[in-house]
Amino acid sequence: MTGTRQMVITLFVVAVSCAVILSFVYAFTAPRIADTQARLTLSGLEEVMSAHKYVEVIPDTLWEALDSSDNKLGIVFRVFPQGYGGPIPITVGLDTEGVITGIRIASAAEGLVETPGLGAKITEPDFTDQFKDKCLADVNLAHYATYVASACDPMDVFPQAGGFSEIIADTLWYALRDSDTLGIVFVGVTQGYLDRIEFMVGYSKAARVTGITVLYSKETDGIGELIRDAEFLEGFKAGAPEAISGATVSSQALIDAVDGYIDRFKEYVE
Amino acid sequence: MKSPALIFLAAFLVNNIVLMRFLGLCPFFGVSSTVETATGMGMAVIFVMTLAAWITWIVFNVILLPLNLVFLRTAIFILTIASLVQLVEMFLKKSYRALYNALGIYLPLITTNCAILGVTFLNIDNRFSLLNGTVFAIGTGLGFTLVIIVFAAIRERLDLAPINPALKGYPISFIAASLMALAFLGFTGPECQN
Amino acid sequence: MTKLHIFTRGLVKDNAVFVLMIGLCPALATSSTVRDGFGMGLAATFVLVFSNLLISILRKNIPNEVRIPIFILIISTFVTIIDYMMQAFQPDLYRALGVFVPLIVVNCMILGRAEAYASKSSVLDSVLDGLGTGLGFTLALTVMGTLREVLGNGTFLGMSVFGESFQKAPVIFMIMSPGAFLVIGILKALINKYVKKELR
Repeated sequence: MTGTRQMVITLFVVAVSCAVILSFVYAFTAPRIADTQARLTLSGLEEVMSAHKYVEVIPDTLWEALDSSDNKLGIVFRVFPQGYGGPIPITVGLDTEGVITGIRIASAAEGLVETPGLGAKITEPDFTDQFKDKCLADVNLAHYATYVASACDPMDVFPQAGGFSEIIADTLWYALRDSDTLGIVFVGVTQGYLDRIEFMVGYSKAARVTGITVLYSKETDGIGELIRDAEFLEGFKAGAPEAISGATVSSQALIDAVDGYIDRFKEYVE
Repeated sequence: MKSPALIFLAAFLVNNIVLMRFLGLCPFFGVSSTVETATGMGMAVIFVMTLAAWITWIVFNVILLPLNLVFLRTAIFILTIASLVQLVEMFLKKSYRALYNALGIYLPLITTNCAILGVTFLNIDNRFSLLNGTVFAIGTGLGFTLVIIVFAAIRERLDLAPINPALKGYPISFIAASLMALAFLGFTGPECQN
Repeated sequence: MTKLHIFTRGLVKDNAVFVLMIGLCPALATSSTVRDGFGMGLAATFVLVFSNLLISILRKNIPNEVRIPIFILIISTFVTIIDYMMQAFQPDLYRALGVFVPLIVVNCMILGRAEAYASKSSVLDSVLDGLGTGLGFTLALTVMGTLREVLGNGTFLGMSVFGESFQKAPVIFMIMSPGAFLVIGILKALINKYVKKELR
């Protein structure tokens, strides 16, 4: 009997002491881990656009860059296209004219999981510098010109908003009500079966899709025409499954939402 | 990569647990001398991996996360898996004798199989839902089974081949595994050629 | 056995990766660059030394029947400590090693040394044994990391070795998974052929 009791007591004592030690270690390192992450984020922002300060509009996703007298210099945002190993965090700086001030692919410390040497080449300056000083329109928006002016009404995808402030002409808006920023609306592009599909999507701060509309698509005759289907588009509003469990917006939720709808576009188009 | 079908394919072939993620190498080299034992090991891994994925997902999301005890993750997971394997072994011994005879001897080996613990960590790190986590675990287990059976078949042939004595045993097995990994790189897609 | 022998046993004669063939998962997964291999080796050494130390101190108080769960608890505590420390102070390395940091807990090398040595030996001997085994593991990972990084990326610790032209088109295959299997296979064959007899 003493044998069993000693066994249980020893096991219990060891387990409790381990838990206590770990809680101290956790308390000691947690603020430093947060610090390290914040510093990495800030240096990432400074690399694509130098500014006096950055105001976080959507956590981990969108920042406003301000100079010392609070004038708006532009925005910095993150997108997460799918790479070999997982989403690749890309930080882009845009000035108020829509010209790219810098583009930066996250380092491994910020979550890049590409194979070194293979996918990791995208982090090298040779690759990223080719985007610098180009207008966003030169990169992928040139062909909007013909139709975009008439088609783009951010209200279509963000009906909750009272008004919009246009950050980049015909490309990116903040959705506003009173003086609150409710979310963003942006024009995105994905590869369809016949040609690219361009769409406008609204995101609320809770990383929920508020609405989505197709601006341009050559998909026809049952191949991809479904993407204009209202029921299909409504389906996105239920997207971002991870955002339901956590009250705060995590960048992950946004990744999932973006990944999710691109995947679903592809499914439908195929 | 949200759809279960994509998660399954990625776990099964593209990011194969053994050849691409380097998890579960001990049983891969240790229990692959014949196709028969490899099959038994593979089945036991699929079974335990799926159960472990469920249990640890529930433990993490229902107990550790709400109580803010995330820092106990490593200790709790390994103890959970160890007790799970014990329970499964006892249960099979009593109730499903035939299954126990087939899988029994592999179960104790599984506790220290880093593939099981690795999958439970990856599940948490990827923030999978319970459904996606299950799909991920099954896909990973099937991927493990596929490569260990193929590898066992290769090794049965290698035993009969005339090989330089220095290469016999582990070295030639590693080189065979290297060629298998090279073949599996093909699943990554054509961009690899750049 | 002299103190020196205790130390060199794990370092050379019973090298975990090259001779005993254990701890293979992290050895192959984290040796794509010198820095990752070396960092992983040191992390495992930390856990090995401290868990050996603690287990050796407690060895007379641990009931035989529950020794394995207690060893696992102690090991996982040190693994979690190094996990959080690395996250706080070496975030780049931490992300590169990924899931293999918490997985140090199932490295057979560590539980093996606790069970076979630390639970039966004096404190100083156990620490020396842990240090030797851990540094042997570090050595193996660094050697593999060097071979793979130099050939696969043309660099050593990030510095160019063969110059620009090689770096434009290195043997990428070496830093990917097939290269890991190939490097350890060839190293093991060379050890079998030239070194094995002297080690015994």
